[in-house]
Amino acid sequence: MARTDIGPTEIAEQRHGFVSSWGQMPLSFRIGAVILGLHFAVAVTGPFWAPYGYSQMGTGAPLSGASLAHPFGIDQLGRDVFSRVVHGSWIVILLSLSGTLLGTITGAIIGLFSGYVGGWIDEVIQRLLEALISIPFLVFALIAIAAAGTEHSGNPFLITMVVALVYAPRIARIARAAAIDITTRDYVTVARLRGEGAWSVMRRELLPNATSVLLVEFALRVGYAPVLIGSLGFLGFGLRPPTPEWGIMISENRALLIIAPSTVLGPGLALASLVVGFNLFTEGLARVLDRTVKLGAQ
Amino acid sequence: MQIALLVARRIALSAITLLLVSAFVFFILEVLPGDVATRILGRDATPEALQVLRDQLGLERPALLRYFSWLGGLLTSDLGQSLVSSRSVTDILAPRIFNTLMLSLYAFALYLPLTLIPAILQALTRDRALDHAFSVLTLVLLSIPDFLLATILLLAFVLWIPVLPAISLVDETSSFMEYMYAMTLPAATLAIVMAVYAVRMLRDNLIEVLDSDYVRMAELKGLPRTRVMLRHALPNALAPTLNVTALNLAYLVGGVVVVERVFSYPGFGTLLVDSLQLRDLPVIEATVMIAALVYIAANLVADIASVLLNPRLRTG
Repeated sequence: MARTDIGPTEIAEQRHGFVSSWGQMPLSFRIGAVILGLHFAVAVTGPFWAPYGYSQMGTGAPLSGASLAHPFGIDQLGRDVFSRVVHGSWIVILLSLSGTLLGTITGAIIGLFSGYVGGWIDEVIQRLLEALISIPFLVFALIAIAAAGTEHSGNPFLITMVVALVYAPRIARIARAAAIDITTRDYVTVARLRGEGAWSVMRRELLPNATSVLLVEFALRVGYAPVLIGSLGFLGFGLRPPTPEWGIMISENRALLIIAPSTVLGPGLALASLVVGFNLFTEGLARVLDRTVKLGAQ
Repeated sequence: MQIALLVARRIALSAITLLLVSAFVFFILEVLPGDVATRILGRDATPEALQVLRDQLGLERPALLRYFSWLGGLLTSDLGQSLVSSRSVTDILAPRIFNTLMLSLYAFALYLPLTLIPAILQALTRDRALDHAFSVLTLVLLSIPDFLLATILLLAFVLWIPVLPAISLVDETSSFMEYMYAMTLPAATLAIVMAVYAVRMLRDNLIEVLDSDYVRMAELKGLPRTRVMLRHALPNALAPTLNVTALNLAYLVGGVVVVERVFSYPGFGTLLVDSLQLRDLPVIEATVMIAALVYIAANLVADIASVLLNPRLRTG
């Protein structure tokens, strides 16, 4: 039986099993969960134990390399890079989660609706989504930020919206495919015959049965959100300095690459390990939910 | 006949998509922001300057009319004038597109061996140490953002093996060798990013094909392993990789934005970032349209190719 048939109760059981059988989970899932756990722990507690403030200057000799007191070295302005990386953690994670969540919800609603109603409405929605997907996602994000104008530049809320905007059409396409598959099942026909409206069928039949698809899709996308946010920051269109976002830090310290490589490699390590954690977690999660997942930015 | 119809349908749909992209790009950049002139010049611009710009852009006309005249320009390859340098957008774009095309060709030339060699090695040593090592390596590389990878390559080559330049400056007077020299690091970055996706997929495909009856048969006939791999397994495993290659081409369109920036390579990507900073609307619009065009064309070609290669899809 295909996994799209899992009802809400079975998903609840799986969730229960998730706690009790940690040892039976795929290795990639466990390693990913540990890496993510460490990142989340740093994100939540970091601001309380970071050695210095994120914009505190004069923490040591500027441009010095890695040392015990300053594991990632000190940047041009005399700020401790390690502390900045730690302070940046919750910003990167929170924006990634909220942006992806917003994009997943929006995309799921559009996709499930489109797949369920079908016909010309579906066709029109498909063409519109395809048009949005045809703009490479970084380019899409850049013009959306340009459209928002300079008065909103660097606004964390704008970045969240941009992440959501980039992801929503891509997630909608997946949700639509799931909806088309689910709509052919008997329980949907039964619900229709009972006289349930479109909204009710979507909420009570389609959504619960598309949960595992959407969950994997969310995990996959949220793993690339830090890269998207970092790329925008790197190009100077993301958050605004002195925000300790990792892409901005890599861009700022690039000039120091030869004198103090750790000022670039430190934030780079944070960013890459977070994404590795998400990727491993997603791959494991997909295996648990019996889904295939193609890791990749597109 | 049926195939011709299918292909025609796909081309028509792609044309519609491109038309919708143009409407979206125009809407988001010229209609949504309200007063475009203020957006470009900033809040402290003088009313006279704003008026000059409004006249230049023809902002008094209704948005729909402006859209159609812009679209008409696109179709007749009249992309308008830059707001910053007052040169024609076509003149600005042409050398940039040429540079990015060269870079992309170079990247694809590196991409092929970077995909084929690791994937074949992995398939031959499946579930042994080398295979696992490559799997971990590709997973890590998959997680490294392109701007970081570019920066690390830069560090490695400039600091530890100082043979390649940190900044890839070229112009019309550069010789072919100067181009190659300048493009090596950006092309390698793009090639690695693209290869990582393809290696993971090709490895799985190869292993699946190696398990098939006809490959067993070829082995039982006593054919040499390299011949079995290259003549029997590889061609069959490559077809599904075609889609990834199309996706990679699509990635390339966005990837060049970041990678060219890292190496200050004067291509299409740096032009987009620069014109976004200068808020040079005609240039931004033209660049985004070209990016979308390449993306749509890549997907179209991949779709048609997979239909031609796989007879089972022809009825769809």
